Amino acid sequence: MIAYIIRRLLLLPLILFGVTILIFGMLELLGPEKLVSAYIRGPEAEKVAGATQKIIEKYGLDKPLPVKYERWLGNVLKGDLGWSLVGKQPVLSAILSRFPYTLELALWAIIPVVFVGIWLGIISAVHHNKFLDHFLRVFAIIGWSFPDFVFGLFMILIFYTQLGWFPPGYLSFDMERVVTSSQFVNYTKMVTIDSILNLRFDVFLDALRHLIAPVITLAYLWWAYILRITRSSMLEVLRKEYIRTARAKGLSEDVVINKHARRNALIPVATVSGQMIIALLAGTVIIESVFNRPGLGRFVAMAATQLDYMSIIGGALFYSILLVLGNLIVDVSYALIDPRIRLQ
Amino acid sequence: MWRKFLILSVVLVISIFSFAAVKNPDTVIVATIGEADTLDPHFAYDTASGEVLFNTYDCLIQYKGESIKEFEPRISTAVPSVENGLIKDDGKTYVFPIRKGVKFHNGNDLTPEDVEYSFERGILFDPAGGPMWMIIEALFGEYTWEDVVMNHVKLRTGKDMAYSDLFAENGEPKPEYAKYLMEAYRDILDPAIEVEGDNVVFHLVRPFAPILYILAQGSSWSSILDKETCIEKGLWDGKADTWWKYHDLPKEESPLYAFENGSGPFKLVEWNREQQKVILERFDDYWNGPAKIKRAIIWGIDEFSTRKAMLEKGDVDVCYVPAQYLSQVEGMPGVTVKKGLPTVSITSLHFNWTVAEGSEYIGSGKLDGNGVPRDFFTDINVRKAFVHAFNYDAFIEDVLNGMGERVPSDLPTGFLGYNPDLPLYKFDLKAAKAALQQAWNGEVWTKGFKMSLLYNTGNEARQTAAEMLKYYIESLNPKFKIEVQGVQWPNYLSAYKRGLLPAFIIGWLADYPDPHNFIFTYYHSQGVYGGPQGEAYKEWARENLDALIEQAVQEIDPAKRQALYEEIQKIAIENYIGMPLYQPLAIRVQRDWLKGWYRNPMRPGEDFYAYWKEE
Amino acid sequence: MLRDEIKKNTKKFFKNPTAVLGLFLLVFFIIIALFAPLIAPPKDPNNPYRIPIATWSLEPKPPSPEHPFGVIGQRDIFYGVIWGTRTAFRIGLIVAGISAIIGIIMGSLSGYFGGWIDEVLMRITDIFMSLPFLVAAMVLTTVLGKGLDKVMIAMIVFGWMGTARLIRGNILQVKEEQYVLAAKALGVRDSLIILKHVIPNTIFPVIVQVSMRMGSLVITAAALSFLGLGAEPGYADWGTLLSYSRNWLTQFDKAWFSIVYPGVAMVLFVLAWNLVGDALRDIFDPRLRG
Repeated sequence: MIAYIIRRLLLLPLILFGVTILIFGMLELLGPEKLVSAYIRGPEAEKVAGATQKIIEKYGLDKPLPVKYERWLGNVLKGDLGWSLVGKQPVLSAILSRFPYTLELALWAIIPVVFVGIWLGIISAVHHNKFLDHFLRVFAIIGWSFPDFVFGLFMILIFYTQLGWFPPGYLSFDMERVVTSSQFVNYTKMVTIDSILNLRFDVFLDALRHLIAPVITLAYLWWAYILRITRSSMLEVLRKEYIRTARAKGLSEDVVINKHARRNALIPVATVSGQMIIALLAGTVIIESVFNRPGLGRFVAMAATQLDYMSIIGGALFYSILLVLGNLIVDVSYALIDPRIRLQ
Repeated sequence: MWRKFLILSVVLVISIFSFAAVKNPDTVIVATIGEADTLDPHFAYDTASGEVLFNTYDCLIQYKGESIKEFEPRISTAVPSVENGLIKDDGKTYVFPIRKGVKFHNGNDLTPEDVEYSFERGILFDPAGGPMWMIIEALFGEYTWEDVVMNHVKLRTGKDMAYSDLFAENGEPKPEYAKYLMEAYRDILDPAIEVEGDNVVFHLVRPFAPILYILAQGSSWSSILDKETCIEKGLWDGKADTWWKYHDLPKEESPLYAFENGSGPFKLVEWNREQQKVILERFDDYWNGPAKIKRAIIWGIDEFSTRKAMLEKGDVDVCYVPAQYLSQVEGMPGVTVKKGLPTVSITSLHFNWTVAEGSEYIGSGKLDGNGVPRDFFTDINVRKAFVHAFNYDAFIEDVLNGMGERVPSDLPTGFLGYNPDLPLYKFDLKAAKAALQQAWNGEVWTKGFKMSLLYNTGNEARQTAAEMLKYYIESLNPKFKIEVQGVQWPNYLSAYKRGLLPAFIIGWLADYPDPHNFIFTYYHSQGVYGGPQGEAYKEWARENLDALIEQAVQEIDPAKRQALYEEIQKIAIENYIGMPLYQPLAIRVQRDWLKGWYRNPMRPGEDFYAYWKEE
Repeated sequence: MLRDEIKKNTKKFFKNPTAVLGLFLLVFFIIIALFAPLIAPPKDPNNPYRIPIATWSLEPKPPSPEHPFGVIGQRDIFYGVIWGTRTAFRIGLIVAGISAIIGIIMGSLSGYFGGWIDEVLMRITDIFMSLPFLVAAMVLTTVLGKGLDKVMIAMIVFGWMGTARLIRGNILQVKEEQYVLAAKALGVRDSLIILKHVIPNTIFPVIVQVSMRMGSLVITAAALSFLGLGAEPGYADWGTLLSYSRNWLTQFDKAWFSIVYPGVAMVLFVLAWNLVGDALRDIFDPRLRG
């Protein structure tokens, strides 16, 4: 197994190299005239003739690809990922300061997704091909079929505009002042955790209030997936010999399901949940925009639409590391949970 | 601990369901779009940055309330005029007596040396694409500091060189040129802005009428910096033999990028870039007395629905609302909507007389029914037809919800030179038809044409304008085809700049409320929008307009200037140089409880100093 | 034997009520797409996908006899929804189809030949997979410029890896089967073995995958439209219509029709594919056979 992990880790630099070359190549299609538009806001930049050309030269946008890449790589090796025009700070700190927000949202969302998803999946499997099974599956697939921005905007419409319960944003104004004050220690930069560590439960509740709507949105959209996995895994287990034996022995259905079947059925669910956290980390782009929450997804989306060269590459690099390492962790832990799996 | 928790949750529940009369009584929160670009006053050139700088720095003078023509003293204790003797030498010398007892946010005193340093640093820095060209044009009649330097080098050496030729590989000046660079500061810039006792004196190379506008509050490039702090922070050290190291640095390398030590009524507390939020706090030692509110927050919320919902709940006090969504906020309880406010911008369509080669927007590039020739718009009849094939009034009424005004030329109302009696183009399909039948000896009419009109996506007004022109032109003759195409802003910008577009719709927001800023931009052969109108236009402008435009800007007598600008506009109108589509009217949407607001179109956002909140 | 299999599976499919529901919806959409020119005759037959302008005003207008689904962003929603069906099929079929073909080619080359070809192709797959789909598609769409064709290209470029891996995995299994080994021993050409024996035996999972992807592709395209990167404004596309309603959403009386009609169309379309895909997977998932 150690050899497997090392092999995968050794591939990481190769993949990162490939990813950055891929992005550089894509952006190279634009040419300097379009790349420069990230550096200027509008026609005012041209109020002095030739100003744009000067900006192109200043930032080296007209240099050939290998020169640009070499310079960028040299800086990265020194720990400098460049300057983010969208983030208005160095790319590295722009990413690191936004990541906790996204991580927090993903972690909160995974809780209802997994628990409700498993619960519904078991119900569905137990009532295989009965009405409840079909109903739950259609209900979950409707969620899966919803565009996230439509659902999110509906949530705002109902729970903020109509009922006033769950405001958009990250924290309310007063609480934000508490969080930014000097007494409040930011251990993790995830406010729901920090507030408990600081014993400020008012902040915690406020943060939760801002989290509910986006979490429900994400959860409803992702339930179907977990439900599906749990259901089929459960069905598979229920056909196994030992379950039949247990039933034949006259154990009650509850005991069969809860004691014997569920435990074994949840192994693949665990893997999928791990993959799902990773997918959620990369899949919050729209939710963050709709609910006006800070975060990595929104940052990368803005960088992409504004052609902010350095931020796009930095973001892609970060995501790749996240995906590669995340998947490695998932695979390894899968192998640890389920001894039947052999890593190769 | 559990008791504490219980009490806190009760308090929280109460705070959710109770409605305070005025939310956040000592704080004003503004929900807007976008975010400041940089807080370096000599680099910032957008209204979002300008808004922060407006509230944290002071300028020499300011606009008087809502006026864009009259001034009030600020750091200067008097507004220079010929009458009070502070404008001298036929408009070539301006004297500003500097106020005493003004403090910067760190407690330092503001001195005349700070004023001199501020302007000199800005001019020497002169970042490409930045705003400093205005002051450089006013003082030296050039547009960049590099041009000023190169003129001097040419004078001394007789050689025509590029600025970069003066420097060696390592970025240091070549030994033979170092002394000219030093001289540029010592003999040109330093004498242009001088401290004389308690006064700061500006010496212009020739009279330049708009200079006071360029210095007035709202022009963040004229902000007064604290010399001591700046040098400490690593800005230009004030020496003649180092300035080039501080010239045209990348945006992020300016130490003032996210730092301020101005003397304005508010201090910058935090620029939260994750949340696109700028938090300002009252400066208690402000020379004119502290502001009434304690805190001001400028918050970039890009999603309109979210912004609006927060306004409705009273969580924000001011909300940016695009004109097309006006009906959504009208009648909202507790919210004031003011409509039809004046602006200082114009949106118009201009023609490209010589489309650049290789353009994909002119079809075949020939007058064969599948394209237009590159010089299609040199024929006045074609321009005339386009100008008459647009329903201006319906556009303003339906698309802009009435939030627009018609203007006869590319000069906003309320400006010197504006004359309501100049003729407005009429929506007249018969005239359009007649003109097209004559155009290109009748060939346009018999063969037809095809071209593309572009707009930058997201700009619904521009898109509809293009669609409308297409609709009416195509209704004249089935052989006419206009394709309306949406492209992203970067692509739009690069296509128009390279002269690829046969016609382009574009707006201009005043840098300063002087006609020169518009007339030069749109009509002069060297104006920003002169180039994209093509080589043939530039030639035409050099013959017909350039001299008049230059004469007008040097004229100090307002009546004579008025006459000159009217003449220029007449020529432009008669030759169908462009289609001024509309001058937008602004909307103000805020909570009733916010008091003290006034409208000044030159102000880049809120003036928090004037505000307070009460029911 | 194969016929029996199909017969059995068809029977199984029709016994599943959700699958039947999905199929019914799908047929419904196919009919609409086919008869779009009759249901909503285009003004400009050369350019039917451009929704004609109904009014100059940007204000939404509720349904009326003239515009049965109302007007948003100056466009007739009914027209947009009808022709948007064709757009949705186009996005789904073209993107899912072409990326599946690319995936099949990459996967079969990789799985069949193994060795360094496998190594190189799989590393390329890894590289493409280590970028989040939406982000990657966003970057490429921005680079290519606006327009639905650009969106589709971007989704194809970053959408083939799943199929490639699936095919490769299946081929590695099939390769060990007797008849393939036999064909190889007889000296049949490699390409022929792939085409004749390997792909037919691995194609069902791909069909399931494609049907499951159809829906999510339409959603992704709509999300790109929402972020301002999708089809041109005025293009008959549900995502574009939905993005118009974005700024009217908080006023229900002004916006319900612009969300409900294209929104329902889209959700039902995606739902149809997901239900069908789900049922197909139940049938073809070997783990559930028995």
